[in-house]
Amino acid sequence: MARRTKRIRVTVNGERYEKEVSPSKSLLDFLRMDLNLTGTKEGCGEGECGACSIIMNGKLVDSCLILTVEADGQKIQTIEGISRHDRLHPLQKAFAEKGAAQCGYCTPGMIMAAKYLLDHNPSPTAEQVLKAIAGNLCRCTGYGSIVDAVLSAAKER
Amino acid sequence: MKVVGQGLPRVEILEKVTGESVFGADVRLAAPILIGKILGSPHAHARIKSIDARKAERLPGVKAVVTAQDLPPVKYGRFVRDEEYFAHKKVRLVGDKIAAVAAIDEETAEEAIKLIKVEYEVLPHFTDGVEAMREGAALIHEEYDQYQALSMVEGRKGNICYHKQTVQGDTNRGFQEAERIFEHSFYAPMVHQTYIEPHAVLARVDASGKATVWVPTQAQFFIRASIAEIFQLPLIKVRVIPTEIGGGFGGKMLPTIEPAAVALARKSGMAVQIVMSRAEDFQVANPRTPCHLRYKTGVKLDGTIMAREVELVFGTGAYCGNGLVICQRAEMLASGPYRIPNVKIDLFCAYTNHANCGPYRAPSGPQISFASESQIDIIARELNLDPVEMRLKNAIEEGDTTPACGGPLKSVHAKETLLKAAEAAGWKERRREKNRGRGIALGYWLVGGMASSAGVKLNEDGTATVMTGVIDLSGTVTSLGQIVAEVLGVELDDVHVRTADSDFAPHSTISAGSQALRSMGSATKWAAEEVKKQIMEVAADKLEAEVSDLVVEGKRVYVKGSPERGLSLGQVGQLSLTHKRGPIVSIQSVSIFPNQPAISAHVTDVEVNPETGAVKVLRYVAAQDVGTAINPLSVMGQVQGAVIQGLGQALTEECIFQNGRMINPTFLDYKIFSSLDAPRVEVHLVEHAAEDGPFGAKGIGEPSIIPVPAAVANAVYDAVGVRISDLPLTAEKILMAIQEKNKSG
Ligand code: FES
Ligand code: FES
Repeated sequence: MARRTKRIRVTVNGERYEKEVSPSKSLLDFLRMDLNLTGTKEGCGEGECGACSIIMNGKLVDSCLILTVEADGQKIQTIEGISRHDRLHPLQKAFAEKGAAQCGYCTPGMIMAAKYLLDHNPSPTAEQVLKAIAGNLCRCTGYGSIVDAVLSAAKER
Repeated sequence: MKVVGQGLPRVEILEKVTGESVFGADVRLAAPILIGKILGSPHAHARIKSIDARKAERLPGVKAVVTAQDLPPVKYGRFVRDEEYFAHKKVRLVGDKIAAVAAIDEETAEEAIKLIKVEYEVLPHFTDGVEAMREGAALIHEEYDQYQALSMVEGRKGNICYHKQTVQGDTNRGFQEAERIFEHSFYAPMVHQTYIEPHAVLARVDASGKATVWVPTQAQFFIRASIAEIFQLPLIKVRVIPTEIGGGFGGKMLPTIEPAAVALARKSGMAVQIVMSRAEDFQVANPRTPCHLRYKTGVKLDGTIMAREVELVFGTGAYCGNGLVICQRAEMLASGPYRIPNVKIDLFCAYTNHANCGPYRAPSGPQISFASESQIDIIARELNLDPVEMRLKNAIEEGDTTPACGGPLKSVHAKETLLKAAEAAGWKERRREKNRGRGIALGYWLVGGMASSAGVKLNEDGTATVMTGVIDLSGTVTSLGQIVAEVLGVELDDVHVRTADSDFAPHSTISAGSQALRSMGSATKWAAEEVKKQIMEVAADKLEAEVSDLVVEGKRVYVKGSPERGLSLGQVGQLSLTHKRGPIVSIQSVSIFPNQPAISAHVTDVEVNPETGAVKVLRYVAAQDVGTAINPLSVMGQVQGAVIQGLGQALTEECIFQNGRMINPTFLDYKIFSSLDAPRVEVHLVEHAAEDGPFGAKGIGEPSIIPVPAAVANAVYDAVGVRISDLPLTAEKILMAIQEKNKSG
């Protein structure tokens, strides 16, 4: 069926893309379906779990709540874009070492939220970490190991 | 031990932190994938008068529409064959599946679903087990007495799909001997596992008719068997490829959307993906069974428990499903980890018009502990006994039995675990502060085991590969690797271990009940030991030594006392290919395991806001008898996660129904703990190698959620003197109880 589409340009993890998209497609679906960047997850599709957290133009956002067309001209960073050439981001290393990822489904969003925190506050307190990940639900860890991981990554950097 | 006992990161952790892991909705194929959607009933209980899907079929972009007519007329069910995959005569819950469509995109699929017209005749419905059991209640399954059921399914009658009475001793005599008798009722509502990854599946049917199903499941062999049964296929015509699983907690074992995806794939000739929305997942996946609990307990004035009668009514949902698993568990756990001479347990499992309830982390455990341990607390206070002393007086010891436990229990450390928690929390030296309280509770779990097999092979370079089909929820797969590394004298990095699919893995247990490591770990350990024997056999020939003189250690095999007379495991691997015995490999099986008690004891400090009733958890101490911690990092993670999950059940979580529809199916309205609610959990392990279980390990994941609601309820009472007997302990309920108490006080 012919549906109305719109051409957009976005930069994702440093790569430039130009694509035709449906005006109702969420940025999350665009990343996962059109670009096959499946690291970003969907947990609710309603902005309530943070599994889909990404950084867009320096802001932490729930990609499920953003229409792809709103991302036109923007710079986006996802979990796939934070490690370079086999070198893990300190957060990724710390999450691995501290047991901060169990099932791992919340992990990409959690790491993006933590990265956003560290980008703005390189040495946060435990309280500040808890606040920064308050929009990211995790059902496995109970959050303690995640806080430990973020604090240890902050020290590493 | 070198590798066992180390808190090593999980073997698959790098994929997880980089976003590489492939979860249920992440599977991509070279061929295009259709999007599937399911039409669920809007009514909780209704007769279907007609189904008309013609308009949906004609919608451009729709590639397949399936209904009951597209499947063989099979009734299935593990205990009672009471379920048909697509409803065609009756619907019995909101969301009962009627049809499914596959289309080129989600919008088209959704449009097609709306075009399917169904006429209903609405019937009275029950979302409460006690109501469904009343004389004269409308039958949810009119033809229940024609269903096939396993012989163990006792007492089926009307909406009761199971009733069993278990008796130990003579409770009448016990109550006569008692000096005080206490009776209380409790209620625990339905709660949902709320793994963050919703159910998802991708299915394809190839030219030979073989179905391949990618799915995040805790039970790949069970899903395979279910699909084969529903489609009447031999098992080799179904291949289940388990993806990474974004949490299960018991909720990803029964088939939900998988058969629909297969039916659509078969009809359309294309691959079909179905992903549940969060709301659908809340509404139709397999949540924790709501339960009414009545406890009658007779005690001596010194706190000795003489008799206990328990009546439990579970509202199991529209179909029996795994309902009996919960009842069987409840039978074992109901009287608690106590030595009680006279016990009577009545278990009822009632059909109700909501989702089939399934196992959720420690099925029946938290509900039972909430009732049983709240009551123990009440009794201790009434008798002026310290709650710790009262529990110590009655706790089970080595060689004791509890109902249906299957014989004298071994490796029992209830008292030590209790004391450890009390000591860590500073039970004795607390200071009283206004509106603050402290509660303690015990958790009782019996770890069983299930038929499992696993293989180990030595590669030509001396590394080893584990062949297993077990699903990794809690770090089991990493622990298997550690076990093999320990036996073969290598590092974890020298062992490859990942879950293989149902075509290639030897039969593996489901990952549930905290028995996966015990079952799989035992099979894996035996296979590794067998491989070690073969290594020595091959090496002995080459080294011209006796097998009994050889040592396998540090990636080498050598003659005791002269390490230079040896071979690397790589050399042995190479040699085996020309040696008369051939490649080194072993697959071993296990099946029967005696029940093993795994006890947890929790102490929590809370503060109750007297103006609002809100509870703040100030401190949480969890002690647990774990046998040997194969991987302490995983063990700690399990306990911490379980406690926070349990706190949700204690304080905030509840599936609320109106006309059979869950009205709070969002994270906004169904509140699980966020980082801002969660206290730090202080974990203390009681470690004594258990009599059986690999390297003495016990199960971990379930015991640690069991005592949470009771510990919190007891702490709330301690803080403000109100006893809430129905979960969750919301601020409103507590505030009302405080006001009530002030009025009458
Ligand atoms: S999927 Fe976006 S917030 Fe849950
Ligand atoms: S690790 Fe499973 S949801 Fe966070």
